[in-house]
Amino acid sequence: MSFNPSVHFKSFLILISVVAAPQIATADVSVHEERLAKGAAIYRAKCASCHGEKGEGGTKQYSEPLAGDASRTELVQLISDTMPEEDPGTCVGEDAEAVAAFVFEHFYSAAAQIRNRPPRVGLARLTGPQLRQSLADLYSHFRGTPQVTEKRGVKAIYFDGPSWKNEKKKIERVDPVIQFDFGHNSPGDGIDPKAFYIYWEGGVLANVTGRYEIIVRSTCSFVMDFGKIGRELINNHVQSGDKTEFRRTVTLTTGRVYPFKIDFIQRERKTEKPPASISLSWIPPGGTEQLIPKRNLISDVATPTFSLELELPPDDRSYGFERGVAINRQWDESTTAASIEFAQAASDELWPEYRKKHKQDSNENRGQLRAFLTEIVEIAFRAPLDEELKQRYIDHQVDTADDDAEAIQRSLLVSLKSPRFLYPLADQNQSLSTRQLNRLTLTLFDSLPTDDWLIKKIRKNELEQVDTIRSMAREFVKDFRTRAKLHDMLLEWLNVKRFDEIIKDENLFAGFDRLIVCDLRDSFEVFLNTVVESETSDYRQLFLADWTFTTDRLAKFYGDSWQPLEKELPKTEPIATEPIEVEPVSTAPTATAPTATAPTATAPVTTEPPKAKSVEKKPLETANTSLPELRRSVSDSQLRFGVLSHPYLMSGLSYHDATSPIHRGVFLIRYILGRTLRPPNEAFTPLSPDLHPDLTTRERVSLQTSPDHCQVCHTKINGLGFALENFDAVGKFRDQERTKTLDSTGKYVDRNGAEFSFSGPRELADYIVSSEDAHRAFVTRAFQHFVKQPAAAFGTGTLDELTDKFRKNNFNINELIVEIAVIAATRDPSLSK
Amino acid sequence: MHPTVSRRDFLLKTGISAAAANFMLSLPSLGWASASGDRKQRLVFIFSPNGVIPDHFWPEKTGTEFDLKRILAPLSDFQSQMMTLHGVCNRIKGDGDGHMRGIGCLLTGIELFPGDVQGGSDTPAGWSMGISVDQHLKNKLQSNPNTQTRFGSLEFGVMVPDRADTWTRMSYAGPNQPVAPIDNPYQMFDKLYGQTKNRMMLASVLDDLTEDFHKVEQMISVEDRRMLHDHVSMVREIEKELQAEMELQSRKGDVGHAIPKLAPNVEEQNDNIPQITRMQMDLMVNSFAADFARIASFQITNSVGSPKMKWLGIDEGHHQLSHEPDTNEPAYEKLIKINTWYCEQVAYLAKRLAETPEPGGDGSMLDNTTLVWTNELGKGNSHTRDNIPFVLVGGGLGFKMGQALDFKKVPHNRLLLSFCEAMGHPEKSFGNPDFCSDGPLTGLV
Repeated sequence: MSFNPSVHFKSFLILISVVAAPQIATADVSVHEERLAKGAAIYRAKCASCHGEKGEGGTKQYSEPLAGDASRTELVQLISDTMPEEDPGTCVGEDAEAVAAFVFEHFYSAAAQIRNRPPRVGLARLTGPQLRQSLADLYSHFRGTPQVTEKRGVKAIYFDGPSWKNEKKKIERVDPVIQFDFGHNSPGDGIDPKAFYIYWEGGVLANVTGRYEIIVRSTCSFVMDFGKIGRELINNHVQSGDKTEFRRTVTLTTGRVYPFKIDFIQRERKTEKPPASISLSWIPPGGTEQLIPKRNLISDVATPTFSLELELPPDDRSYGFERGVAINRQWDESTTAASIEFAQAASDELWPEYRKKHKQDSNENRGQLRAFLTEIVEIAFRAPLDEELKQRYIDHQVDTADDDAEAIQRSLLVSLKSPRFLYPLADQNQSLSTRQLNRLTLTLFDSLPTDDWLIKKIRKNELEQVDTIRSMAREFVKDFRTRAKLHDMLLEWLNVKRFDEIIKDENLFAGFDRLIVCDLRDSFEVFLNTVVESETSDYRQLFLADWTFTTDRLAKFYGDSWQPLEKELPKTEPIATEPIEVEPVSTAPTATAPTATAPTATAPVTTEPPKAKSVEKKPLETANTSLPELRRSVSDSQLRFGVLSHPYLMSGLSYHDATSPIHRGVFLIRYILGRTLRPPNEAFTPLSPDLHPDLTTRERVSLQTSPDHCQVCHTKINGLGFALENFDAVGKFRDQERTKTLDSTGKYVDRNGAEFSFSGPRELADYIVSSEDAHRAFVTRAFQHFVKQPAAAFGTGTLDELTDKFRKNNFNINELIVEIAVIAATRDPSLSK
Repeated sequence: MHPTVSRRDFLLKTGISAAAANFMLSLPSLGWASASGDRKQRLVFIFSPNGVIPDHFWPEKTGTEFDLKRILAPLSDFQSQMMTLHGVCNRIKGDGDGHMRGIGCLLTGIELFPGDVQGGSDTPAGWSMGISVDQHLKNKLQSNPNTQTRFGSLEFGVMVPDRADTWTRMSYAGPNQPVAPIDNPYQMFDKLYGQTKNRMMLASVLDDLTEDFHKVEQMISVEDRRMLHDHVSMVREIEKELQAEMELQSRKGDVGHAIPKLAPNVEEQNDNIPQITRMQMDLMVNSFAADFARIASFQITNSVGSPKMKWLGIDEGHHQLSHEPDTNEPAYEKLIKINTWYCEQVAYLAKRLAETPEPGGDGSMLDNTTLVWTNELGKGNSHTRDNIPFVLVGGGLGFKMGQALDFKKVPHNRLLLSFCEAMGHPEKSFGNPDFCSDGPLTGLV
């Protein structure tokens, strides 16, 4: 079809005087369409050979699809400056505007992409982490998942004499960590140093999934159970010679509490006795050895926990978040191995307990075994079993194997490899309550509903209402599992998981060693958790907080602003003193749960003078007073801006000898502001500072990125990165570089084309907390991480709606997660089918 | 042609002590020619606790015309393939009570570390200061590609108490490194055959699985079915491959790959000791046939072990009975019965090995295996570690079997040296060198 623009133009002139407004729109449309047609023609002639007819890319010259989030104005500039590649400058002015308009509307913009390929909730199998968490919960079904608690430390009972005798019980208290050196002295009043027994019991909370090395150093006899009381990890019942160090490696799952107990015994003996000492340490994944810190020790009784030792293959991340879409041999083998490992735990631990508990039940035709398996498989399938399924997954397997353990293995192997377990959303035949709860637990816990009270609710179909789901989500968001998932999301959002080992030039940054890096990482992560888990859970605090967490080492290296808020660690701090049997003691606020605005220091050493009836006891002096436990730092509103000023981030986004405004800029634009950047045209080696001794880093970077084709992206990147130049390569604050005064001014053009400029990190932080781009980026990241589906699949306005609510809720992160979970649980379009 | 000269004659003529011979002359062990070469050699240490009743254990006559007393009578079928070694004493002193040193020094030949575990008498002690001879030989065999096997050694147990202390460990991988025996036959089965069994199990359940995919498909939108189709077709492929693999295996059908079938649901409890013992011994024979290992230990209970042999009509625990004076006739009689039962187990294992042809070799598996039946004490009520029971059955070590020997109180370290030498890895000393100066025992070949 062809048309004559002049005809339209004339009609516009005539009609404008009659009814103005609607006609203007019509006219605009026609002008716009004209421009699009022109743009389409130019695109076909000059662009399509490289970019593809529909901007799909995939050609030799340009493989990436033409899609992104630059504004239309930016596209015009880019085309004028750089296109076509072989002859830049030949497509400018109106031509460039026309092509930009066509590209933008037909495939480049986010809206065009959604229009061309409407996102939907796709089928997905359990991802690796979801499989791990689901198996852990499946195991926990029989004994319950641990309740969330803020109680930290380890319960301790001290006995006079080498064994548990109630009348010899001398001390009951909560020890903050396990590190004692009693020497030849008594561990407490009324206890004969010749022979005593200390019983510690608690839980270890894992913050990240991975291999942990547990290290116990003990000069005395001890036995340690881990994961379940009765599941022995280290048996040093015999103290022998100078064997005092015991190491075991275990895989722990994030957000899980692993119960443990230690029986520590100094025995009376005829021969010379070594001095009594013990410590409990670990090497977390990617970390160095440290005492298991108080924040990871739970002083409440924890239920037994299963942790899959198997390493699972990584999941597809091609959309920027993990999705369970890859179906291949490697994955299949991992599901087999995981099933076998789980079945072993089921037959070794769950089955004997079940049998004991149900010994009154009829066992005709191995009825107890069938009932046991039915109970597990119904949880795994998130649905009751009908006769056919029971026949296939239970009875057939039991009938094939005479041996109970083998029957359990068979039944669980086939069940845990079944699509009914592996595809959590293949549940169209289930009740609405069931399906909503499946989605809620999958979103928040990466797992499935296992607790009896939940199962009862869905059997009664009580979870249909959105409000019911919302109030459950509010409960679930406090769960250790959700906290762990949120923690992981923050690390993904800040991209710190992909940091290489941080190493700096020893001459330029003397004293910046591995221990400092580990302290920084702990400080960074505990800071994030503290903000998020506080009452206000305020996103803005992540950029505005003027405090952080510090250690003596960090204070020594970074100076005054890293001094702890309270200089002296109290040697003993009496805490609540009820006997443990009555009610676990409440400890002082810990590093994991102060409020964001006024965090309190960790109570580092809290030995408890127990009020055990008639015996008067004094608090103990222990070796713990020199612990490198994290403490809240002093405030410094001049130098500290939440994560932006944190040396872990700033040193991670630097070279070993200099800052990297480019890394910092890319970090800000991609992760904090959520904009897309295409990869550089080619790999560049940064200009060496030594070759340009007169230039500041800023000048050097500007020089290297000055060509037009670099500026396409670097005009966005550099302006942000330069604003953080006040933090050197180890994150120390500076005003000068060498002898030159620093220029830390920067600018940013947002998604809507508005330009913002700022000078220094304070103004950058202020901009970020008010930036719509940043809010949206955070919400998007949270949605993807928790739901693992595109937000638009739940309605085109989903992201806008969530971002709006986020702002209205004072940027409360926990509330955001609740709203995301509610949408994921109740608005999956398949629910209405 | 040279006349054949025995090792003994050679040494007598040259005037070199047996121990020095191997080192000074770098000679391969003369007379052990049969031990080298291609034949497999296996060595098994069988442990039963609390000493024996010597008068009903040791033959009265030594030499080849020896007699079998009541306790050893079950071995009568193997008299020509067995050897008793009287007069071998565990001389190791130091920390630990008799039972602790009895088991902890039995295969290590060295003292226990100071420690905090107090026995009934003497000083407290910890673990052994050295490696045990079974683990030492395992390391030697594993370091040579010709003798290397999948596991090197296997440590079997029967009702070993669920606690790690000096009384429950016989085998040591090194100083302070006790090796826990596996006393659950199902656990041992998993170690030996777990992977193969799991593949068989997988092969047999996949059919159930693929059928159910079709049902699940109904619950999935049409757009998403492709993923499920990919999944099910992959499962089918795996199923086919596994079936082919299983068929191939059953066609081969050789003993080395045959998976034994265990009796179901046998729990670890006192009354099941006879059945568990059989299951474990059968697994050992199977694992040897498959050449999974050439060294094994077989620990029935533990030092101070107290099984109640109700199947023999004995309600008291073994250890308790072993403290009774010889004048307590009923107890004395029961102890003979208990030890006879242990001997029956040794005889069962010998019989199983004798009945099984050596895979890829000559004779029976017993011809290439030596069972060493031993104990932590010589006699229960005296706690003596003199005259430790050592009864050898089978031809693994290449000793001259069919004789009863009396060494008149030699330290048992010398016997440990003989084991090393006979397995082709002679040592100058093993354990505490103070007890090794006279070298390996003579007269064994």
